[in-house]
Amino acid sequence: MTARRSEAGWLAWTAPALLVLGALSIYPLLFAVEISLRTAGGYGLDHFRRLAADRLFLVSLGQTLLYTAAALALEFALGLALALLVNREFRLRRLVRAVLLIPMLLPPVVVAVLWRLILNPEFGVLNGTLRGWGLETRGLTWVAAENTALLSVILVDVWQWTPFLFLLLLAGLQGLPVEPFEAAVVDGASRWQVFRRLTLPMLRPVIAIAVLLRGMDLLRVFDQIFILTQGGPGFATETVTLYIYRTAFRFHNFGYAAAMSFVLLAATTTVARAFLRLLRQQPA
Amino acid sequence: MNKLGKLGGTAALAVAVLATLLPLYWLATLSLKREVDQFAVPPLWVSFQPTWAHYSDIFVNRNFGRYLWNSAAAASVSTLLALAMGTAAAYSLARRPRPGLAFWILSTRMFPPVVSIVPLFLMLRWAGLLDSIAALMLLYTAFNLPFVVWMMRGFFQELPPDLEEAAMMDGQTRLGALWRVVLPLVRPALAATAAFCLVIAWNEFLFALIVAQTDQAMTLPVGIAGRVTQYEIKWGAMSAAGVVAMLPVFLFAALMQKHMVRGLSLGAVKG
Repeated sequence: MTARRSEAGWLAWTAPALLVLGALSIYPLLFAVEISLRTAGGYGLDHFRRLAADRLFLVSLGQTLLYTAAALALEFALGLALALLVNREFRLRRLVRAVLLIPMLLPPVVVAVLWRLILNPEFGVLNGTLRGWGLETRGLTWVAAENTALLSVILVDVWQWTPFLFLLLLAGLQGLPVEPFEAAVVDGASRWQVFRRLTLPMLRPVIAIAVLLRGMDLLRVFDQIFILTQGGPGFATETVTLYIYRTAFRFHNFGYAAAMSFVLLAATTTVARAFLRLLRQQPA
Repeated sequence: MNKLGKLGGTAALAVAVLATLLPLYWLATLSLKREVDQFAVPPLWVSFQPTWAHYSDIFVNRNFGRYLWNSAAAASVSTLLALAMGTAAAYSLARRPRPGLAFWILSTRMFPPVVSIVPLFLMLRWAGLLDSIAALMLLYTAFNLPFVVWMMRGFFQELPPDLEEAAMMDGQTRLGALWRVVLPLVRPALAATAAFCLVIAWNEFLFALIVAQTDQAMTLPVGIAGRVTQYEIKWGAMSAAGVVAMLPVFLFAALMQKHMVRGLSLGAVKG
């Protein structure tokens, strides 16, 4: 076989995958550009101009960023704490790790239904239990009132996705070399000093990867909010993905929906590029 | 560590385990409770008279058998297709490295799905594939392909090429060598990759929501969503449906085992 024919042969192995990706990932993206530029009289930037003046879009964008930042911070802090706690020798360690991973594997729709039932202010088990203890639950409206809804959907996200940060950070901790820590103990470093000066800096690459991956997913959040609140009450929990979905499939304005989705794409691309850059730096 | 610190750590872990399990346990009890027991105050955690009525209700009266079948068909067929095409591409990219192409394939996985829902909806409508499970099989195949290519490429790179070259000296074709020599060696990795694809397809909601127009192509998540966003929620039925949708995931998780970290971090963290 000549070298050239063999090269072509190797490329042929990738052909089915590339064809499917071309037809169902790349082509739709280009098609979306075309849809977003369609206007009544031909092509133009009308939809993009409308974006800047659409208060609801700006509100949903702001809430998406707030949701992402708050959930990410909570999930990271909790995930790191749990990872540090599990990164010790104790009985039942494997079982505890396995249990803590469960939520992130479950269908987000089911997780949302579960919490919708639990958090129901009148009939839910959470307020029911608190009332059973003689506590006042009138202010605990959870997803049912405008002022508590966003915080509640964030907490549900934290329940489901802290395990993701926990698992990656735990793997990172277990991959750290032992020698620096032994040396630090010999030098008489305090536990806090070891954590601050050794653990955190050495864990940085894993932290970056975990936070970027989770951040990318948070920006596109849809399932849980769709079930828990549908973006309401009012627009208290409206996010960009939800607004795009509604614009396209309730109000049938495909062009405007496509234009909005490119704002989300731009935000995600920034995060994705940072992730890919980290991946490239790794030894293969 | 001092005794007090150790105790505090154990207590914190116990709280985390309880916070994970109690909501799930509660959902399971709701699915087994008669309506009079569902809203009892104080809540009934253990002592209630169990009933299977909600499970028979969702399958007999609410068409969940259909949704279950749809979910299973979409997840399994798309996983098989993604594995077949993805493994071939991954093998090629591992033996004839093209880092640019490999990263490009991975990057297609990172687009937010919402960007393509409008064009995909129009394409499917044009092709007459709306409201069909075939559409979901195709979409999930495309969605999982980059993941399969990327993961399997990593696993193949860890195997020395001498193995299949020896087999080819003995007269095997490359495909034969891949099938008989290489794939058996990466079977656990292949199983873990398949499990990831299954979970992602099984849990997926947004694509399934735009494809399904009637019961015909509804998956479990869409079937459940359609019934909770109405004003009156049947608590028992929804809990039973939730439990049914959760159970297979535990099976898939068992298959992932030690490759879970690698899969979740797209190979960036070695578990």
